Amino acid sequence: MTGLVTTTPALETRALVAGYEPDLPIVRGVDLSVAPGELLVVLGPNGAGKSTFVKAIAGVAPIHGGSVTLAGRDITDVPAHRKITQGLAFVPQTENIFATLSIHENLQLAAAVLPKPVRPDRIRALYDRFPDLAIAPSRLAGALSGGQRQMLAVARALIVDPPLIILDEPSAGLSPKIVSEVFEMLQRINATGVTVILVEQNVKAALKIASRAVILVEGQIRHEGAATALLDDPILAKLYLGTGHARNHSREAELP
Amino acid sequence: MTPQFVMDGLIAGAMIGLGAIGVTLTYSILRFANFAHGELLSWGAYLAMAISGTIGMVSTTLLKPIAPFSFGWSLPIATVLAILLTGLLALAVDALLFGRLRRRGSAVIILVMASFGASLALRSLLEFIFTSKPAYFTKALQIAIKLGGGLRATPDQLLSLGMTLIAVIAVHLLMTRTSIGRSMRAVSENPALAGIAGVDVRKMIRVVWFLGAALACIAGIMTGLLVQIRPYLGHDLLLPLFAAAILGGIGSVPGAMLAGLIVGLSEALAVQLVGAEWRAAVSFVILVIVLLVRPRGLFGRAA
Repeated sequence: MTGLVTTTPALETRALVAGYEPDLPIVRGVDLSVAPGELLVVLGPNGAGKSTFVKAIAGVAPIHGGSVTLAGRDITDVPAHRKITQGLAFVPQTENIFATLSIHENLQLAAAVLPKPVRPDRIRALYDRFPDLAIAPSRLAGALSGGQRQMLAVARALIVDPPLIILDEPSAGLSPKIVSEVFEMLQRINATGVTVILVEQNVKAALKIASRAVILVEGQIRHEGAATALLDDPILAKLYLGTGHARNHSREAELP
Repeated sequence: MTPQFVMDGLIAGAMIGLGAIGVTLTYSILRFANFAHGELLSWGAYLAMAISGTIGMVSTTLLKPIAPFSFGWSLPIATVLAILLTGLLALAVDALLFGRLRRRGSAVIILVMASFGASLALRSLLEFIFTSKPAYFTKALQIAIKLGGGLRATPDQLLSLGMTLIAVIAVHLLMTRTSIGRSMRAVSENPALAGIAGVDVRKMIRVVWFLGAALACIAGIMTGLLVQIRPYLGHDLLLPLFAAAILGGIGSVPGAMLAGLIVGLSEALAVQLVGAEWRAAVSFVILVIVLLVRPRGLFGRAA
């Protein structure tokens, strides 16, 4: 699927510069093209700018240069709240659900961007897909376990049937068993044709489900390739453990 | 001690509660203590008075009191228009002042100080336009009705209590049952996530300003109707408003109303027990106790 010249990328960034201070960009010129249907994982040591990169695409972190194109449409200046209707769903790393709203209200809130008549059907479809959420829809979302929260956050993002979903470290703070459940869920979503971009610290587990990986170091793409090939590639250890040419750039981070 | 303090307290508490709902909503979404909120009460009362007076000039029949109340149809009509104008005033202040500071990423203390400035400017403008002489919606006198149990209240006072109840229920339903209420609660909890979920946060900020100002206007008109209209009307209620908003728990509509009644009743009780000069201290004492013992208030969520 990748590499087809005729396919319009699901997402493309060109020389993207982003960060919270204009003088101190965290993302420093990233060119990335993601083909429709890909499951791409963005890796890199702590502080490499992975999170800022996806936040900039989602419209939550300021962009200072370059462009973001979604299925051929320029969305660089589209405000965050309009990206979901354009087909880009984003799941932040922490605080990705409304704890003071019930499960059902979380979904109702997200469904508000859809035309009124289709909302109940869409919510029902999500309950069918995530039966755990349907057990007690009036329960406060804040009372959910870590894994269920992640499930609700993903369900919230999927409400508009987006062609692209971006997740910022969905495995953070979860037990290994729940991590594998979340990753299986992402694989299933990807299997339905949704393009998935995943930022992860959980390198090996992420590479097992991803089709392709990019490694971000110091706000720039240092390496990219097929996920399976990267699993055994010594470059991974080099970039993460600070050996070889990446010594000066990487921060302390261990391969899980 | 006469039981009448209960009625006095309920009436004062209703006005405080209504104003406190506005404070608690704006505080929960804008995340700063807006000390100019009291001025919205005063402006609401004066706008209603000016509009009602203008209507009276056009048609004197609209000034004729609607029995058993002390005012004619000009006041209800003026109330609707004043609510709109007070809402627009709040939006204008936000566009000119607070919105600019927010976009610049100003610290909370800057916004609070700016609200002090806005409060002073808005109050001075009222004194400039209307002078500081007390004014009244109507000169008609009202006889209090005996309600039993040693309680008495005028028809205006009972109407105000009824209106407050309706307003509180309406706002509570708006917050809990409608899409706009859900969006407001979402913005209050996490503005960034609300944006990601498709909520237009800027629009919600405008909605909350308008709603808070509308409630302030109603509270101001009631105060003007039951007491008198002065440029300091809202300013003098500021401490009770904040005490009630914090006691009720920031963001909680029923909490603000219940706490407003508690503050009003405590004030009335203090007047009975220790003397009228201590009335103003009551809110302060309540505020300090809540902040020390239960900072999240009665219905607030834990930080």
